[in-house]
Amino acid sequence: MGREEQHDLEPFQRDPCLINKNLIMSLVSLCLAAGSLPASADSSVTFPWPDIPHVPEQYEPVPMPPGFKVVVTGQEGPVFADHRGHTLYTWPVRQLRNGPVGERKGQPSCDATKYTVNSGLMSPYPPGFELPEVATRPSCIDVWNIVVAPKDAKPVGKWTIVQRKDGISQWAYDGYALYTSVLDTQPGEVNGGHSGPSGEVGVRRPVEAPSMVPPQFQVATNLAGRMLMTSDNYSVYASRNDKPDKSNCTAKCLEEWKPIVAPAYAKPRGEFGIIERSAGIRQWTFRKQPLYTHIGEPFAKMYGADSPGWYNVFTQYTPKPPADFTVQASPTGLVLADRNGKTVYMFNCADDALDQLACDHPDSPQVYRFTVCGGGDPKQCLKRFPYVIAAKDAKSDNLLWTTMWIDPMTGKKAKAGQAGALHVWAYRGRPVYTHYRDKAPGDMTADQWGEFYGYRNGYKAFWLRSDFGRGG
Amino acid sequence: MNNDRNSSFGRAALPAVLGALLLPAAGAAPRPDVSAKDWAPPNGRIGYVLWHEVSWGLRETPNKEECPNGFNIGPREQFAELYPKDGKKRTLEETQLKREAEIWMPNTSPDEFPFHEATGKYAIGVNLDGKVSPEDFESDDGRKGIDNQLFRVVGCIRNYRLEGELGIITTKWRAQKPFNRVTFELTGVDSIRNDPDVTVSYYRTLDNLLAGPTGNYLPGGSQRVDAKWGKRFMATAKGRIVDGVLETEPFKQLLVPEDGMGDPAINIFKSAQLRLKLTPESAEGVLAGFLDVEQWYYAMNTSWATHHAAYGQASAASMYKALRRLADGYPDPETGENTAISGAMDIKLVQVYVIHPEQQ
Repeated sequence: MGREEQHDLEPFQRDPCLINKNLIMSLVSLCLAAGSLPASADSSVTFPWPDIPHVPEQYEPVPMPPGFKVVVTGQEGPVFADHRGHTLYTWPVRQLRNGPVGERKGQPSCDATKYTVNSGLMSPYPPGFELPEVATRPSCIDVWNIVVAPKDAKPVGKWTIVQRKDGISQWAYDGYALYTSVLDTQPGEVNGGHSGPSGEVGVRRPVEAPSMVPPQFQVATNLAGRMLMTSDNYSVYASRNDKPDKSNCTAKCLEEWKPIVAPAYAKPRGEFGIIERSAGIRQWTFRKQPLYTHIGEPFAKMYGADSPGWYNVFTQYTPKPPADFTVQASPTGLVLADRNGKTVYMFNCADDALDQLACDHPDSPQVYRFTVCGGGDPKQCLKRFPYVIAAKDAKSDNLLWTTMWIDPMTGKKAKAGQAGALHVWAYRGRPVYTHYRDKAPGDMTADQWGEFYGYRNGYKAFWLRSDFGRGG
Repeated sequence: MNNDRNSSFGRAALPAVLGALLLPAAGAAPRPDVSAKDWAPPNGRIGYVLWHEVSWGLRETPNKEECPNGFNIGPREQFAELYPKDGKKRTLEETQLKREAEIWMPNTSPDEFPFHEATGKYAIGVNLDGKVSPEDFESDDGRKGIDNQLFRVVGCIRNYRLEGELGIITTKWRAQKPFNRVTFELTGVDSIRNDPDVTVSYYRTLDNLLAGPTGNYLPGGSQRVDAKWGKRFMATAKGRIVDGVLETEPFKQLLVPEDGMGDPAINIFKSAQLRLKLTPESAEGVLAGFLDVEQWYYAMNTSWATHHAAYGQASAASMYKALRRLADGYPDPETGENTAISGAMDIKLVQVYVIHPEQQ
């Protein structure tokens, strides 16, 4: 399919290899020229999202069975999707404190069983207690749709077919059975997934399509976007002092910055190019930006972005949060905050049944959240972890940030304008919150609040950069 | 994983900085005659980085005399008492979630379980309020009026004793986790033995400790002040050195970072005072103050999930009641209830050169 024909497709359907080169050139110029945007009275705070046009990440064209495609999502980058464009998920086995949960390769266990009691995987609590809302608790396959393989399906590459115990043939990728989430209703949504590290939870993960990066690189997902890393996990940087396809980092600059050298056999690929710094010394570029690592920086850190003119390279950024949000400096790093500078928290929850169903969204039992936010009392929750309120006419231009009406006394969705209902901001289909003990911008007193450090049933701050903790 | 801001940062600038400070070559500690009584650090300036928090001011005796009623039981034992395996059907909401609710929304109603406070005449700490009251302790060196009510709360909880998880692990984290790195710098020091007027500054700093071959920590390292994320930690107080012991006037408050099992928390010492025995190579003693009860409590819980607290039989819900019952400082102007509890951190530090932002 040529470039002209690409215009007829939705953005997620376009071949990323054929993105308009003029756009790339504009992007490069803006990237190299633009400074970061101030977002706080604190001059050390820089806004992670540059003021440049959104360009989606490119992915490798891998063979797929008929009916599947790749969708470039705002949070997770390129993921595999079904014919509707709905994200595919797997549930790889994880060892929790008291035993494993999830699925082994070729052995789907998400089935029609309606679990009624907890499994006791959550030390120190024993098993056998009746789960909340047990009469209406769905089964695993009520909320995780099996991706059924037709009778004539044939394996392609990493795509295989597994036989379920219930007799259904199911598509699998890399051996793991594939599902879609009932929380996703349109292409590009990843509401079945979990933001940030999974902690002590058997979470489902969107199935990433392979990024189009040379073997020396990888892409890491964080809440600011898809950050380019070296394959050995060091952050990749570019300099505003460089020009498109021209490095100006020489002499003393090289004492702090190390060009990422392309081996003699390497060839340009996708948006990755190669420039010759000097005879025989070839340097990788991305979207024409010469690439570097920061000498002496520990792996997986972002310290180099503190050097004037230098910035982390992202293959794509997450959509900018709505204007009701700000970015603040905390003792740990950069955190998303509301318009008053109060740190924003996300609520994480998976129940302690063998199928580990999510309890972190408004359609799930709210007793878990009420437990940790207000001792079971919704009124206390409203005081201690208030929702981030959205204006009634607030709108978002992306799938990640949305608004919803919530009945704060039930914690569940409400009709627009319903008495007592609040119009709130949500991320990935889950409301976001602030905390009553945070007084000043950058306070983060509720990070890790709840069961198992806020991963199992509790709150985690919306980390954009964490120099010290696990959040970044 | 060691994800510290590695000390190779700024290494190129370090010799110049040290030279400017007229200090010996990088990596070498000042080598005074430690027996000399009037030794003074170069330029009157010496830093000490915290590497070891021995305990939350617990004075443990070999026969556990401070715990005549034994140790407290923890979350696992309390749960088993409340919900025995008797065949009765129970819901998650009335069991596990009820117990977690008591952790995250604690209250001061009477405890369902007996709580064993630490008792006795002696404790570690400082006389914070200048008074000698019946509830106060005495120090081993004969100082009266020691304020350390936190000792009563945690003294008979295994987690907080040297045999507990905190005793075993926290020290390691204090040394290893970069978020936990804090440094005191003394300036205007004319004598490390006796000086009536010194200034003590407190910083969050960024560098790895200088480790010896046997896991000990050596003097002579350097610590860069964290001027980016660490501004809120900076504090200064006046102090005096008498017979080699530094005593400070109260810092208005000190924020002590506490990165436990994941992302960081912070403890707040109000009216904080240092009492440290100094040598040119190390310092040892206590950081005392009134700990903000709510902050201390939630910092504990966000650093220690029920699972890990259960290892050391630390029941958060029971501890909260004791904290509030024994709180002895900073009364709420409206309710009159004390919002802070006297306590002390038993600490060890090692000499470092402090590198300020303008020198980095």
